[in-house]
Amino acid sequence: MSEERSGQQVLRAPFWQRLQSVDRRILYSLIFASVIIPVLWPLHLPTLVTPESRAFFNAVDSLPSGSVVLFPFDFWPSTLPETEPMAIAALRHCFRKNLRVVGLSNVGMGGPSIADRLLDSIGAEFHKSYGADYVNLGYKANYSAVMLGMGSRIADIFPADHRGTRLEDIPLMRQVPNYDSVKFVLIISDNAMTDYWVALVNARYGLPMVAGVTAIMAPKMLSYMHSRQLMGLLGGMKGAAEYEQLIGRPDKASRGMDAQSLIHFLIIVFIVLGNAGYFMSRRHRTRLGQV
Amino acid sequence: MKTRLPVFVAFISGALMIIAFFGRGTVVDAVSEEALTWQTIVGGFALLLGAVSIVRVHWQKISTRHTDRYYSVGLLICFAVMAGSGVLFGIGGGTLFDHLFQRIQAPMMSTMFSVLAFFIASAAYRAFRARSVSSAILLLAAIVVMLGRIPMGQYVYHGLPAWADWIMTVPSMAVQRGILIGAALGAASMSLRIMLGIERTYLGRG
Repeated sequence: MSEERSGQQVLRAPFWQRLQSVDRRILYSLIFASVIIPVLWPLHLPTLVTPESRAFFNAVDSLPSGSVVLFPFDFWPSTLPETEPMAIAALRHCFRKNLRVVGLSNVGMGGPSIADRLLDSIGAEFHKSYGADYVNLGYKANYSAVMLGMGSRIADIFPADHRGTRLEDIPLMRQVPNYDSVKFVLIISDNAMTDYWVALVNARYGLPMVAGVTAIMAPKMLSYMHSRQLMGLLGGMKGAAEYEQLIGRPDKASRGMDAQSLIHFLIIVFIVLGNAGYFMSRRHRTRLGQV
Repeated sequence: MKTRLPVFVAFISGALMIIAFFGRGTVVDAVSEEALTWQTIVGGFALLLGAVSIVRVHWQKISTRHTDRYYSVGLLICFAVMAGSGVLFGIGGGTLFDHLFQRIQAPMMSTMFSVLAFFIASAAYRAFRARSVSSAILLLAAIVVMLGRIPMGQYVYHGLPAWADWIMTVPSMAVQRGILIGAALGAASMSLRIMLGIERTYLGRG
């Protein structure tokens, strides 16, 4: 009987071990399905709004009509699925409030082109015109010099905009010689630029700012939020989905949250299964006196 | 002289920026503004240097018939097409450069980044084991945050989002602040070392 039980245990053990080493093709297929299924059949899961996202919304919402907002598009094309929905929602909010947007980018590769595309497409939605309601300054190398230099005279750093028009020929920029005319900074970033905006521009010029960052950066940025160096914070696709909800215009991020929900859930299930397998096989080995 | 002059320039530039930071509207501030304009011009040259360097490295790989030379050929062709289209037809919206960027480069970069989800999931499943008390705490915190940050989490347990927020705003932030303060102190001390000429590795010597 004992031998039989022992034999059963030997047969049972590989199951727990197999739980720890599920074929990665199965895992990849499940992840693929978790992305595709909610895209085809949206689940419409409700997103709870965090205080950070609400503070972001309130900060933009409280700006008087006509205020100039500096809008750095400091993100690489690789993080577009996370950062683009934030930028779109923020631009919609700004244009709806009749805020004037001065875009720029400290990311050379793609930043200005992305800024151009988003400003033009969202500007067109609200019948805004380039040069009067928004402008894209483009990119200049050396972010610290750009951030500090714009505090004295923007035209020294950007003599012309991204399209090559001189700043003195752009009506909006004639009214914005430096940071004194800027009411607010709205950063969308996937890198350390937010730290520099906080350390160089908020600290020196006292400009109020909010930031939309990738999910992986959000824990670090929370400390700026709690020290009131940032007035609001959007973290990753969830932050973007919350902001879309707050402005009453669910879009890409809200759709993406369904997929993200399923993938998070799937990863947790697999982590739990892997750990269950690990503990059970360890217990089994202990019983057999192998450990 | 080869060492003293760069150290002197570094000291003056650093001191100028520190004084200007605290004295807006002063003469030093005006001088620092000019220095910042110079800095953007130098930054432009640094980009040019990078472009020349990348062409040289890959050209060398091709000329020495390196095993990876085909990748270098691909890189140089893409480099020439992107740079050429930008220089010849401009970089504004609707130009050839803009089409190449928006329709080829940006989707490719996003795809590369998105593929990470598969590897992260696989790595988390294989490596995330509660082998000790500390790794068990880390595992538990990760599960609470991952679940609490998604809409589905509130269906598992309604208090999960609040738990996740607490982890993010209390223990996680305490660590983040420690890292931030440590990094800032390190950056400040490194800047002082460069200004005082103690740190000279940027001159190509120790």
